[in-house]
Amino acid sequence: MTDPTHVIHSQQLTKTFGKVRALDGLDLAVRPGEVHGFLGPNGAGKSTTIRILLGLIRATGGRVELFGADPWRDAASLHGRLAYVAGDVALWPGLTGGQCLDVIGATHGRVDERRRADLIERFELDPTKRIRDYSKGNRQKVALIAALAAGADLLILDEPTSGLDPLMEQAFQNCVRERRDAGVTVLLSSHLLDEVEALADRVSIIRRGRTVTTGTLADLRRNSRTSVHAVTTEEPGSLAHAAGVADYVSERLDGHVDIRFTIDAHHLDAMIGTLHAARIHTLTVAPPSLDALFLRSYGDAPEARATAATFAENTR
Amino acid sequence: MSADHPAAGPHTQGLDTMIGIVWRTRRRGILIGVLALGGSLIGTAAAVAGLYDTPSKIHTYAAAVTAGSALAAINGHVEGIDSLGGVIQDEFGFLASFLLPLLGIALVAGSTRREEESGRLETILGGRITRHQPVLAALLVAAAAILGMSVLFAAGLVVCGVPVSGAILYSAALGALAFVFAGLAALLAQLVPHTRGVYTGSLTVLAAAYVLRGVGDTTKSGLALLSPLGWAEKAAPFGDQRWWLLTIPVVAGLAAGAGAVRLAGRRDLGSAVLRGRAGPECASRFRRGPIGFAAWLHLPATAGWLAGAVLLTAMMGALSRQLLDALAGNPALTNAMGVAGDRPLDGFVAATQLYLAVIAAGFLVQAIGTLRAEEAGGRLASRLSGTLSRSRWLFAHGTVILGGLALIVAGSSLVLALSTAWSVGDTGEFGAIVSAGLDYLPAELVLAGVALALFGLWPRGLGFAWAAFAAVAFIALLGPGLNLARWVLDLSPITYVGGPPRGAVDAGSLAALAITAVALVMLGFLGFRRRDLSES
Ligand SMILES: Nc1ncnc2c1ncn2[C@@H]1O[C@H](COP(=O)(O)OP(=O)(O)OP(=O)(O)O)[C@@H](O)[C@H]1O
Ligand SMILES: [Mg+2]
Repeated sequence: MTDPTHVIHSQQLTKTFGKVRALDGLDLAVRPGEVHGFLGPNGAGKSTTIRILLGLIRATGGRVELFGADPWRDAASLHGRLAYVAGDVALWPGLTGGQCLDVIGATHGRVDERRRADLIERFELDPTKRIRDYSKGNRQKVALIAALAAGADLLILDEPTSGLDPLMEQAFQNCVRERRDAGVTVLLSSHLLDEVEALADRVSIIRRGRTVTTGTLADLRRNSRTSVHAVTTEEPGSLAHAAGVADYVSERLDGHVDIRFTIDAHHLDAMIGTLHAARIHTLTVAPPSLDALFLRSYGDAPEARATAATFAENTR
Repeated sequence: MSADHPAAGPHTQGLDTMIGIVWRTRRRGILIGVLALGGSLIGTAAAVAGLYDTPSKIHTYAAAVTAGSALAAINGHVEGIDSLGGVIQDEFGFLASFLLPLLGIALVAGSTRREEESGRLETILGGRITRHQPVLAALLVAAAAILGMSVLFAAGLVVCGVPVSGAILYSAALGALAFVFAGLAALLAQLVPHTRGVYTGSLTVLAAAYVLRGVGDTTKSGLALLSPLGWAEKAAPFGDQRWWLLTIPVVAGLAAGAGAVRLAGRRDLGSAVLRGRAGPECASRFRRGPIGFAAWLHLPATAGWLAGAVLLTAMMGALSRQLLDALAGNPALTNAMGVAGDRPLDGFVAATQLYLAVIAAGFLVQAIGTLRAEEAGGRLASRLSGTLSRSRWLFAHGTVILGGLALIVAGSSLVLALSTAWSVGDTGEFGAIVSAGLDYLPAELVLAGVALALFGLWPRGLGFAWAAFAAVAFIALLGPGLNLARWVLDLSPITYVGGPPRGAVDAGSLAALAITAVALVMLGFLGFRRRDLSES
């Protein structure tokens, strides 16, 4: 059964290594032409998922499709359409960077030689050096250039910029955008929130081998709690128990009322009305920072689960 | 605790810590190496003692061995061979020449350059360890392990009935031999940037030492005294007992070790005195393909095994004239060596081909080990993330390894045939010598099959392929001399070849070996296609 609406589609994917349950019902859907951020704390199962997608390991259970085909059975033919950068770049120490590019390129089939040369220049790589003599960042660049130069429809990048300096990180982001504009789909696993925010159209957050949340960053934001700090002249009567409000703290200071609370975005409007009635002196409304948002999804707090649950409902 | 004892200083304390680290991270390998080597040496000594249990038997052995200098080239010229200790020393001559230096090299290389290359040393040096301490600790642990092995071996020899002083001197000489190479490896670890270079360098020195000792012993010149192998031999534990000669290897080992420690203290971490240069910007068309790439990967090791095999066969061939002369004047020897009257060289060629078969089997296991190293290093995942399928990858490597095997076996057999013809001045044996080499191919491939089946089904157990190789080598090299039981000999595929050209080759046995090999290889292929890649 083929699924043309998704480049990557997994449902209830599981993978066990002996007693370790690395994936425990993971759902992932990546649409054509999007940059999909793939996030999760250490050991969440990102690399495991990616290795299943590449047919390097075999799923224990569940369904997974890559371009509508089985990534284990059709590994070699599917790989003609994708390029991969591993989290731990492993190359042959005795080869030069240029030789490595050619060797990897040869297994990808279509390599754009002009783009290869252009990328070498943009990433400032010396292709005549041996891999063993490169710094960590430069080894990473070799793997990146090899993937970006390939004529692939899908890029699978597992923490591709670990070790790159900020300038190179910028170059990487530009390159990914160019590839996306050329119609390439990208699965980007990363711990760098700035990078994800700059590049990703949609994100999936996983924890302990399970998908916690999936959607656009705007969706994520909208479904998270906004923190409010207000100073009013009077005590706003019903606010503490109003719908959507939590963590409510108020105290009297110099004849004013100092109030702090969090609120979910759907109830903002009503809250502002209530505050207004209490005569606003100062008001700060902070949307959730991306960090806070991820910390909540990564962590074990019950609130995170609640957020995730409402979120999942809304996106279904 | 450290703050309470400033007097201890970071110096000795760091060294203690470092020794602890080396021991904790490597103790399994060290214990296995020491026990396996000590145990097999003692086991062999016991078997020799059981076999040569009367003076007259020992005398016959001594007469047979001393008559031909060809054997002196391989096993060395043993002084006092007319004694139990002498027979043991002679039986060990070949194996000990390689195993003990290898023990020393492996003990040191694994805890110096390998740690530095992997970046683990950097983590350690971030702590309270000074730069020279890791190599010093590695040497100390290696010296202790070697000492332990020597003591174990000496005790074993005494139990077997060897006189105490001879047993101690012999074990000490072997220990000193291992120590020289440990020192050499420590020094090389400072000079070259990669572990592989440490092994290549030390093994090259070892090969040179072996040739020097061989030439020295056959020509009876002083050349052997230039070789670390000669130092051990000329200590003559069962002859004149030159204890003072042990000072040479001890001083040489200490000097090399001291040089290594000094260099380590002065150079930058991760640096090496000898460095690689820049290389080509593009890979050739050939190397981009799966076969070409596999060929590139296996080339250095294949060249090494080929060099060793050619060295051995050339030397043996060149010495065949001397053996014939010795046989001509000594009918008793002819009988002792089991040489048929009309083709006196056959036994000699058969023995050489057996050594060659062991070398070829070692090459195969090592080459398949490379595949596992590619996988464990994560490079196989890089390789398979393109359109290259698993089957094609493995097939390409299989083809290249087979090519390497053909090159080593056919090449060295040709060298043996040519050098023998040149030495004897007669090409009559040419065909028989070459075909004897080829007869061993199916047996060698069985071992490759075992390694490949493990790779496909249980990659973490690939070490067992080395264990199988060790057993095969042991049975091939010492089995006949030790009169091992039939069923033990039958464990080794090489036994079924029949020992050509002296023994008759049974086509049926070769076919059975070939079928076994093919079945094992297929098992490996199927297993590899179905399993997860595993990097741990
Ligand atoms: N071959 C293996 N054998 C046993 N356990 C494994 C194996 N591979 C992965 N695991 C386990 O599976 C879990 C998921 O690991 P994975 O590498 O996918 O995490 P990750 O999300 O990529 O983490 P990170 O952000 O640190 O890269 C971990 O608990 C890990 O220990
Ligand atoms: Mg990972």
